[in-house]
Parts: sequence; structure tokens; C-alpha cells
Amino acid sequence: MKRMDWVVDFISRKGFRKGWTVFIIAFFLFFVVIPTLYVVTYAFTDWSAIETTVLSKPETMSVIVNAVAASFEIAAIVTVIDFLAGLPVAWILVRKEFRGKEFLDTLIDMPLAVPTAALGFSAAVFWVMNPDPVPFSFSVISSPFFLIILLHIVFSYPYMVRSLAAILEEIDDTYEVAGRTLGASRLTAARTITLPLFRAGLATGVILCFSRSMSETGGTMIALSTMANLGIGEAANFFTGSTLIGEWRSLVENDPTYAPSLAFVSILLIALALILLIILKLVIMKFHLPLRKVWPMQEKMLSRGIFPKMKDGGALLFLALIVLIPSFFIFTYVLFSDPASLDMGALSYALGYSFLVAGVVTVIDIALGIPFALYITKHRDRASSNVLDVLVNVPLIVPTAALGYSLFLFWGSTGLTGGASFVVLTLAHVAFTYPLVVRNVAGAVEEIDPSFEETARTLGAKPIQSFHRVLYPLIKSSILAGAIMAFTRSLGETGATQAVLGSNALTAPVYIVSLVKADELYQAGLACIILIIVSYIFMLVLRYLTKKRKEAI
Amino acid sequence: MPEVELINIAKRFGKVTASADINLKVADGEYVTILGPSGCGKTTLIRMIAGLIEPSEGKVFIAGKDMTNVPIEERDIGYVFQNIALFPHLTALGNVAFGPIVKDMSEEEVKSVPQRYLEMVKLLDRMGMFPDELSGGEQQKVSLARALASGAKLLLLDEPLSALDARVRMDLRYELRRITKDLGLTVIHVTHDQEEAMTVSDRIVLMRNGRIVESNTPEALYLSPQNLFTANFIGETNLLEGVVKEVLPDRSLVELRDGTVVEAKPSKFRRGDAVVLSIRPERVHPANEGLNSVIIKITYMGTYIRITVESDSEDTMLFDVSTSEDRVYSVGDRVNLIWSKRSGILYPRPPEGVEEAIKLE
Repeated sequence: MKRMDWVVDFISRKGFRKGWTVFIIAFFLFFVVIPTLYVVTYAFTDWSAIETTVLSKPETMSVIVNAVAASFEIAAIVTVIDFLAGLPVAWILVRKEFRGKEFLDTLIDMPLAVPTAALGFSAAVFWVMNPDPVPFSFSVISSPFFLIILLHIVFSYPYMVRSLAAILEEIDDTYEVAGRTLGASRLTAARTITLPLFRAGLATGVILCFSRSMSETGGTMIALSTMANLGIGEAANFFTGSTLIGEWRSLVENDPTYAPSLAFVSILLIALALILLIILKLVIMKFHLPLRKVWPMQEKMLSRGIFPKMKDGGALLFLALIVLIPSFFIFTYVLFSDPASLDMGALSYALGYSFLVAGVVTVIDIALGIPFALYITKHRDRASSNVLDVLVNVPLIVPTAALGYSLFLFWGSTGLTGGASFVVLTLAHVAFTYPLVVRNVAGAVEEIDPSFEETARTLGAKPIQSFHRVLYPLIKSSILAGAIMAFTRSLGETGATQAVLGSNALTAPVYIVSLVKADELYQAGLACIILIIVSYIFMLVLRYLTKKRKEAI
Repeated sequence: MPEVELINIAKRFGKVTASADINLKVADGEYVTILGPSGCGKTTLIRMIAGLIEPSEGKVFIAGKDMTNVPIEERDIGYVFQNIALFPHLTALGNVAFGPIVKDMSEEEVKSVPQRYLEMVKLLDRMGMFPDELSGGEQQKVSLARALASGAKLLLLDEPLSALDARVRMDLRYELRRITKDLGLTVIHVTHDQEEAMTVSDRIVLMRNGRIVESNTPEALYLSPQNLFTANFIGETNLLEGVVKEVLPDRSLVELRDGTVVEAKPSKFRRGDAVVLSIRPERVHPANEGLNSVIIKITYMGTYIRITVESDSEDTMLFDVSTSEDRVYSVGDRVNLIWSKRSGILYPRPPEGVEEAIKLE
């Protein structure tokens, strides 16, 4: 430890700490926020191009309007369904004690462990109407619109349940009990007391689900291509805002006239997402549930007997049938399809590349995200840190395809995109995973009583020491959660990757998309399974390693 | 009318027994306090009466009706929580109006009833405020008004004052008793504070380790406790170990460990029985003769001085002298202590030892 003393002294100096803070904030602004929003400058520098090639062309406009409208409709429907189906499950998780609760708890997160590219493929082969259906599949959906709704539910549902459960955990159940001692039935008490206290959690859940559905590209593209390959041609011409960007981004390489349209859709989606975020936030905070109205007899009846069981049973059935089975249906699919040979060399190269990017991205996120999270939580009294706190959400709600295109333009303008594709891809992935680490860590730090660290300081610890010895052990699990989220997001991301590097990107999800597009469905399925297994093992190892180290201390 | 009867109630959480063999009858209009050290099972008991938890055995009757399978909301009780639990999204008035609204009272009652009870707790002028804008004492008053406005005739108070400042706690005790007596309510009040129990109740039920130890009026429990644990838990007392020397019609004589013979009430003990003599500090006086002791500590308490001594009989004793007394006491002084024979009470010496018998768990 002695040797480290001069290092500790050096980094505890006021000047060094100030410089470090400036560096952290500058990194955030120049590598996360500005690249994300850079595409907006296109509207100022080249508005005439947008006017002549987009606004004045009715066909182009109608494609854009249809795609963007589809995005919004899907996101809205998905969010409402997530809420209705997620609330009872969140309730069960927090308020009920039963055997197998931990098992249910892990089941909910399982779809998050599956890369969205695999999810898109899996859900499509499960749902899409198919003259020659895979055994055990549902094979009922013939509309691309409904398929995408079902797909988006799969990966947004866990976010909704998690946000609702988190806030429900915070609400003291004495309130509900108090309501019941005053004569309210279970349902009345839950509706008039707990739900109104819920608004903050509801806002988070709604925004997460909405933006996740709005921005998802890779899984959606794969689901649509799979559907088209299964014989529903309509799917090839169905676009959401994000997949439209993906499509045009691949065309722009050979035909630069698509550039203004591409920029226009990106700007439109970013602007609408931001406006919608603000509106949602305001509406949810202002919206009052009809509290004064009560129907004592009817609500009493609904609180008793078979109704609560039906509600819980229905919610769990939804979880199994709509969320879990479609997520893992790919295993059944591969089992029942005719084997074909998979180019293992190309796949392992793509996997290796993806893991390398995800790993480097996660390390950067942690190294630069934790200090940033500490900065915004410890300076709540300053306006600047509140502004940064809001800004850090921006990459989460901007559709990743738009974000990717924006990053492409930004890094392209610096001349980096040509040779250093790995560097650019890494920076792009940092932009949309960085907020995940910051949010997780900031949330955890806020929960911790600052007097722990203050005590450490009064006992003579330098700031870095009090972080290392007091705060870090307390927030370690949140750092891990953030790291896993960042890693899996990077590993599964397709839209942004394609938007940044075009079709010459060589990550695993992009490779899977290319297999699906080439109608090599069996190979795509097998590649998805390998991706799921490898990432699952990786996560297990990560958990195991972090646990081990805890015991060592 | 809401008399409450508990018959053979027991509650077990896994292997832990929270209450056992509870038989208790609370009369209509009676103010009963369930008193006991923390962890004695008193909160479990009141929660079983309210229906928040189900007893493992036995039955709860309210107003003569078996409450098994009757949900909380149909037991017609008012419940005041230790952590107050005012709904944070509703104003004081909204909170108090909650009961009338969910009980589907008429429009008119929904308007008038809450205001009447807010007036009763003298908070009508605060009715538009949200809970976080009220002080702790005001919040608990609103929560009392809320419980009353639901029209319940049985009020359950679960440590209602323990989250409040000492001063506010004193004021609210009297308010609680005044209001509930004015309204003629049956009250079951749980507390660990024996002073609070003494000042508010008609009757105190003392619990320990999940069982009822003793139940009587505050005066009776203080003046003639039937049990060594009660004598020690309610008020303060000195416990001296000795052997009965003689029992006379008007007093008992006890020989302490150093051979000093002291007096106590007449008793049923026989010569040679091992006993514990309980004598309250305020009944012990310094005199020219009596039990020989050395002062080991002096504590200034304001109106009186609390003196701790070690007697020659190897018992530690407390006694109080008025601040206005002329004599000056200092640590190391020798004093002789006496008391009147009517203020000493004898208990059989517990086989497990005195320490164990008065332990709070």
C-alpha cells in the first residue's frame, strides 16, 4: 500500500480533481450527447436538399409518414399492453410471498439476456402464419403490424415490470392496510391509494417501454425479413421509422441521393421522441385517476373469490405465452428444421468482433460513467448537474438507428469512418450504452446515506479512498447490473451498428440479419442459439467472478 | 355494541411463538392498554384483532360475532398506526374523508363528517394541507380523525404516540382519552411506555413473551402487583433477596443476607421461605436506624435527587430525597434506610433467579 501513497496523494489534489471533473463532463458532451444529436445540424446546413428531395416528393413523404406513424402506434399499443399485463405481475413480485418467487423473478429478466436479433427471429417463427408451421408454433399472425407489436412486447415487458416493481417496493403497504381498516375493499384501496402514489414509477416504465419500442431496429428488421421469407410478402414493404432508416442507410452507400431523406427521418424521429418524452412526463404527473368515484359493492365483489385469481392467472399466462415462449422458441425451431451447414469461421469471427466491441465499450462506460454518475448525484444543488442529468437520458430515447446515422455523420465529418471502423463502432456503442451505466450507478448512489462517506472522511480517508472502501462496496451490484445491461445492449445492437458502418459491419447481429435476408433461416437460427448460449455463459462467468472477489475481501 | 373477546388465541410464525393462551375480554366503552416490552407480542395481538394477520389458533369476537374469515374492511374498526400512514397524495381533509367515501355515505355526510372530526382534534384550519406540511403531532391527530370518521365504534391504537416528541406525546395522551371517552368508544391501545399506559387506560393488560402476565386497573397494578415482573416493569422498584423470619397478622419479617431483619406486608409465606421483597424508591427513607448502606451514586433529577446505595446485605437500592431537603449527601456516605411495613411486598424467590424473572424478553 505504501507505494500507492503518492498516487493517492496526487489524485486527491484539488487541481487534479478539478481537471478530472472537466474531462469527464467534456467526454460526455463530445462523445455522447453531441454525436447523438449531430444529425440535427443537417437541417441547418442542407435544408434546401431536404426540401427538394423529400418535402416536395409526395411518395417519399408518404413512406416517411406511414413509417413514423406505425412506430408511434406500435409503441403506444405496446406500452399500454405492457402496463396492463405487467402491473399484476409486479404486484405479485412485491406484495406476495410464495414458493418459487425467486424463480419468477429471474424468468422476467430472461428476454433481456437474449440479443434482440435472436428475439426478432424467434418471435417471427413462433407467430407468423406459415403454410408449413414449425411444431408447437402458433402460426397465426399474418399482419406485420401485429407481429411487431408482439415482438416489442417481449423486450419491453421486463422494463415495465421492473420499473413498476421498483416503485411498488418503495410504497409502504401500511397505506393500503390503512385504507382497508377504513372500510375500503382490496381493489378500492389499491386503486385509490397505491396507484396514485405510483406515478413516478409509471412515468419511468412508460418512457422506457415507449422509447425501447420506438428505437428498436435490429430485432424488428429480422422479424420482418423472416416474415417475408415465410411467404408474407407484405412484410418486405412494411417499415417502422427505425427500419426505414436501416433500409435507406444500406441504400445510401450506392445512391447518395437518399442522404437528405435519411437525415430528415432521423431528425423527425429524434424531435418527435423528445417532444413525446416531455409530453408524457407532464401528462403522467398531471393526470389524476378518478379517485373520488368509488363503487363499494362492485369493487368488493371484484376483490373476492375467483376474480383476483383470474387476474393473477391471466397475467402469468401472458408472461409465459406472449413473453417467454416466443423468446426461446428458436430452440424448438432449430430442433425441427432440416440441418444445413453454417459457416462457422464467419460466425466465430463475427462473435469475436462483437464481444471485443462490447467488452471495450463496457470498460469505457464504467471508467467514465461512474465518475459522471457521482458528479451528477453529488451536486444536486447545481443547475448544471441537473441539466446533465436530463441530457444523459437523450441517447436512451433517441431511436438507435437515428442515433447511429447521426454518429456516422459526426464521425464521418472528422474523417474517422474510413479506416478505423472498430474505433468508430466502439464510440457509437458507447453513446447509447453509457446512459445505462450512469442511470444504474446514479440511482444506487442516491439511495445511499451520504453520512457513510462523510464518516469515512472524518476518519481521515481521502475522497478516492472513501469511494473505494465505503461507497464502492455498497453500489457494486448496481455497477454490475449497469455493466451487464451495457454489455448485452452492445452485443445485441443492430440498427446503430448498420447505421454507422453500413453493410460492411461485421458484428454477430448484423451477420444474423444477413443470413435471414439470404433466406438461410436454419443457419440464422443456429447462429442465434450460439449467440444466446455464449452471452449467457459470459454473464454467468461475470457474476461468478464478481461474487468470488466479494468473498475474498 | 363492540365488546371484544379473544378466546385461546395463539400465533406462531414458523417455530417462533408470538402469542399463546391469550384470553381477554374488553367491555363496551372500556379503554384497555396492552403494555409490554418490545417483542412481547402485543402488536401481533392487535393486528390479529384488526384482521391484518390470522391467528394460528383461537377466535376473535367483536360485538359477539366470530371474526374468522371476516376481512379487515368489514370488521368496522378504526386503526391508528405507529408510523401514522396518512395518504401522502391527499390533503388532511381528503384523508379524513376517505372512510366516508369508501363506505358509500351520502354526499352530505361525506362533506360534514370529516369536518366534524377535524374540528374535534382542533385541526379544522389545517384541512387543506398535505401530510408533509403538518407536524408529527398534527399528522397523528389527523390520522385519529380519519379513523374516527369511518364511523367505527372500536378503535385500535398501535403505538400511536411512539413516533412523536416527548412533549407532543404528553398532550396527545390526554386528547386521546378525552375524545374517545366523549364518543363512548371501545379502545385497545398498544404501547411499551408504562407511563403512557398508566395515564390513559381504564385497565392495563401486561404482556411478556407472548402471554398475558397480569391485567388490572393502573392503580392496582402499581400498588399491589401480583407478580414480580409486573412490580419491576410498572414503575421502578428495589428488589431485595431474603428469607422469611416470621409472619405476623399485621406484617411479615424478612431476614436479608447480612442478617438485618426488615418489614413487609403480611403474607401467606411460612418461616424459612426464600422470598424477594419489592419496595418502590419513593417509599424508602433515610433514618437513624435501619438497613446499613453506602452511597455509590447521586443523580440530580430536578424536583428530587435519586440516590443509589449498596446495602450491607449486598443489594443495590434506589431512593429519592427532595431537592429542598437540608441534608447534603455525598458518594461514600453511610445511610440507614427504612420503609413502612405496608409498602413492602413479598414474592416467592423465582427458581430461575431474579435477573431472569424480570428480564424484558
